[in-house]
Amino acid sequence: MLQDTEYRLKAYFEWYHRTSDFTAVMKRRKLTVTRKISLLRYALWTVWLLVILAVMGLVILGALTQSYVLGLIALVMLILLPFILAYGIAVPLFAGWLIIQRPKEKTMIENARRILASHAAVKIAVVGSYGKTTVKEILKTVLSESKKVAATPGNMNTPLGISRFANKLVGNEDVLIVEFGEEKVGDVKMLAELSSPTMAVMTGINESHLASFKTIENTINTIFEIVEYLGDKPVYKNGENQFVKDTAEQDEYLFSRKGVNGWRVTDANTSLESGTQFIAKKGTKVVKASTSLIGLHTVGPSVAAIAIADGLGLSTKDIEAGLAKVVPFDHRMQPRQLHGAWVIDDTYNGNSDGVSAGLNLLRTSTAKRRIYVTPGLVEQGDQTQLVHETIGRQIASSADVAVLMNNSVTNYIVAGLTDAKFKGELIIIDDPLDFYTNLDQFVARGDVVLMQNDWTDNYR
Amino acid sequence: MKKTVAVFFGGQSTEHDISIITALGSVIKPLELSKKYTVLPVYITKKGKWLSGAALKNIDLFRSKKIETFEIKTKAAKIVLDGGLSIDGVKIDIAFPAMHGPYGEDGSLMGFLRMANIPFVGADMDASVIAMDKVLAKQVAVSNNIPTSKFVFTTRAQFQADPAASVSVAESKLAYPMFVKPAHLGSSIGITRVATKTELLNAVEVAAYYDEKIIIEEAVANLIEVTVPIIGNDSPRVALVERPLSQGEAFFDFETKYMGNGGKKGGGKAGAQGYSELPAVLPGNLYDTSVDVALQVYRALSMTGIARVDLLIDEKAKIVYFNEVNPLPGDLYGHNWRAAGVSKVQLVDELIRYAEERHDQKSQIDTTFSSSFLQQF
Repeated sequence: MLQDTEYRLKAYFEWYHRTSDFTAVMKRRKLTVTRKISLLRYALWTVWLLVILAVMGLVILGALTQSYVLGLIALVMLILLPFILAYGIAVPLFAGWLIIQRPKEKTMIENARRILASHAAVKIAVVGSYGKTTVKEILKTVLSESKKVAATPGNMNTPLGISRFANKLVGNEDVLIVEFGEEKVGDVKMLAELSSPTMAVMTGINESHLASFKTIENTINTIFEIVEYLGDKPVYKNGENQFVKDTAEQDEYLFSRKGVNGWRVTDANTSLESGTQFIAKKGTKVVKASTSLIGLHTVGPSVAAIAIADGLGLSTKDIEAGLAKVVPFDHRMQPRQLHGAWVIDDTYNGNSDGVSAGLNLLRTSTAKRRIYVTPGLVEQGDQTQLVHETIGRQIASSADVAVLMNNSVTNYIVAGLTDAKFKGELIIIDDPLDFYTNLDQFVARGDVVLMQNDWTDNYR
Repeated sequence: MKKTVAVFFGGQSTEHDISIITALGSVIKPLELSKKYTVLPVYITKKGKWLSGAALKNIDLFRSKKIETFEIKTKAAKIVLDGGLSIDGVKIDIAFPAMHGPYGEDGSLMGFLRMANIPFVGADMDASVIAMDKVLAKQVAVSNNIPTSKFVFTTRAQFQADPAASVSVAESKLAYPMFVKPAHLGSSIGITRVATKTELLNAVEVAAYYDEKIIIEEAVANLIEVTVPIIGNDSPRVALVERPLSQGEAFFDFETKYMGNGGKKGGGKAGAQGYSELPAVLPGNLYDTSVDVALQVYRALSMTGIARVDLLIDEKAKIVYFNEVNPLPGDLYGHNWRAAGVSKVQLVDELIRYAEERHDQKSQIDTTFSSSFLQQF
């Protein structure tokens, strides 16, 4: 579970405290035996051995001195052994980080800072609570049409991830796209100082990671650290996000499905079968955009990519060709056919704006039955109840069948459904894997199924 | 409170193994996934022993043949008829027969369930008896002016007493090629296409090995074979007309249906049930005619719950003939219903609803009568 929580001790201990049955905790993934895991295992065996030796010693000593107290201590130690091991694992982990990992990381980050500061490429930072991977991939695909582009892979958006990316750069890249991950105040500023961006795209702000930010104001301030860092340099900001819209300067870089920076969008349409199409015009320039992405919420980021590409000197022909290569990203609004039904896999989506966009698409889809599947969202802090009641109300107006994975937020979603007088069918699933494995039994031709978010084993 | 559904499968039938696949894959799994029912599997072994318990939901038990040891070690299910039905102490609310062929699909099990006075899925006893007797079914169809191919029938006793006479009757009334079939079996078991007298003799002998009643039918010329899945009671609804596609052979045999690595055109998946065109592409208005004929058969035979009506079409003459009806199609023909917009979970749920509806209707009929006979005795 430590590996599953990416060695975040807080998340690990939260999981440990709420789990009562430890016999079946590995459902979604199995332990990958890395060097770190091997070392931790040795450490655990050592702790176990030391405790057993201590118990034996106490028993023998107790027998020799006829001391019941020593025997009692030995018994208590045996009873506490599982807790000692569970907590004791943090000691070698912390020691390893302090002695080995931290100095190594520090050196790597310093190297990366030098590499990125002196790199001549246009450096685009992608910041926000959600939608970063989508924006990064759209930009990378479009700009790659005539530029040498490198982007941080997957969700390598921490100082260490960005440093690894920087250390692998060849040096002749025209554009670097760097995704920023943020969990606490100051993170964006720190990552900006590490990667020296020359421009940025702000994807949006919501309650994601509210558990660590505590307040939405903290989240907003953190994301807007990029504006402060870049000063007069361009920051493309998602004008369709309320928090961004309310906070940002109403400049030409506020993008939406209507356009950005002189680019005006018309004739936008989207469908599961043919993706999204629109026309973007700026002066005499016309881009007939067509991507395989689904949902009109993808128009804003796409037109922002058009504006950035145009600014970097790409021709409209290259931009059109690049957009045509944009396909849905794994587990993000990714449609597929199953026995004549459309299944939209959005299981990597874990934020309320993504939920709204998805449910909006579901509501406007032509379908025999509209089926919505979700476990809810994690890390919503003190907004958890409110966020999920809202989701419940949104589901009520968008779906015919609601499938909820039974967990700590299910009752809040059900309350939202009840409040909105949901007339459809409600199914509550205890074993999500069993449901996903047998999805073919639930669907028929003409159905549209939207699956949003999927909780890993450490959440319940 | 969830209702308890007993799913009956296996049985002393040549279609025992098909029944296991239907029960585990197409009935128990979707019933459980619906989260509306508690499912109790009731497995009837090839020797006729009744077993129940959650372990019987596991296909590996049957695949690995561990079922033979399981059968020996496990006590027979305790069946109690107490104005309802209890199995091993579990009160059953609804029965879901998932058995094919004799004892399961032919009305035997339905008779037992009627006695138990609980709702059960599928056709009632009398409809099942007629549907599972190809001769009776055709006679009912003929009396309702539904076209059928020409046919005669004989019995095992008649054939064994005088094979030549049985064959002569067929030759005098029918033209070659003909089909010889056991009257009560499904899944195309024991069916032979014959073109000569010698082949006819051999085929009747083979069919008589499986059944005591044998039907001999004249082959339909310019043949298109189609099948029509139907569900419902008083207002039956049709899925899609499906055209099984045999691979150069003259009919859709057991091997093609269940063992072939086939697939379906038009969106079906590979696997059991072989190749087929879904929905069938038929010339003119033959698609609609097929639906009409299938519904006429369903009603004429008083089918309820679920059935699949097989039809034979003479493409040139534009005539749709009734061939046979399956009261419990293998796999419930779930692939076809799914293509028609009904998921497997919805299908079993609907079938349960039809079972309860029919049981409610029957419950309103007074089956007791107050008399003074005993006082006068």
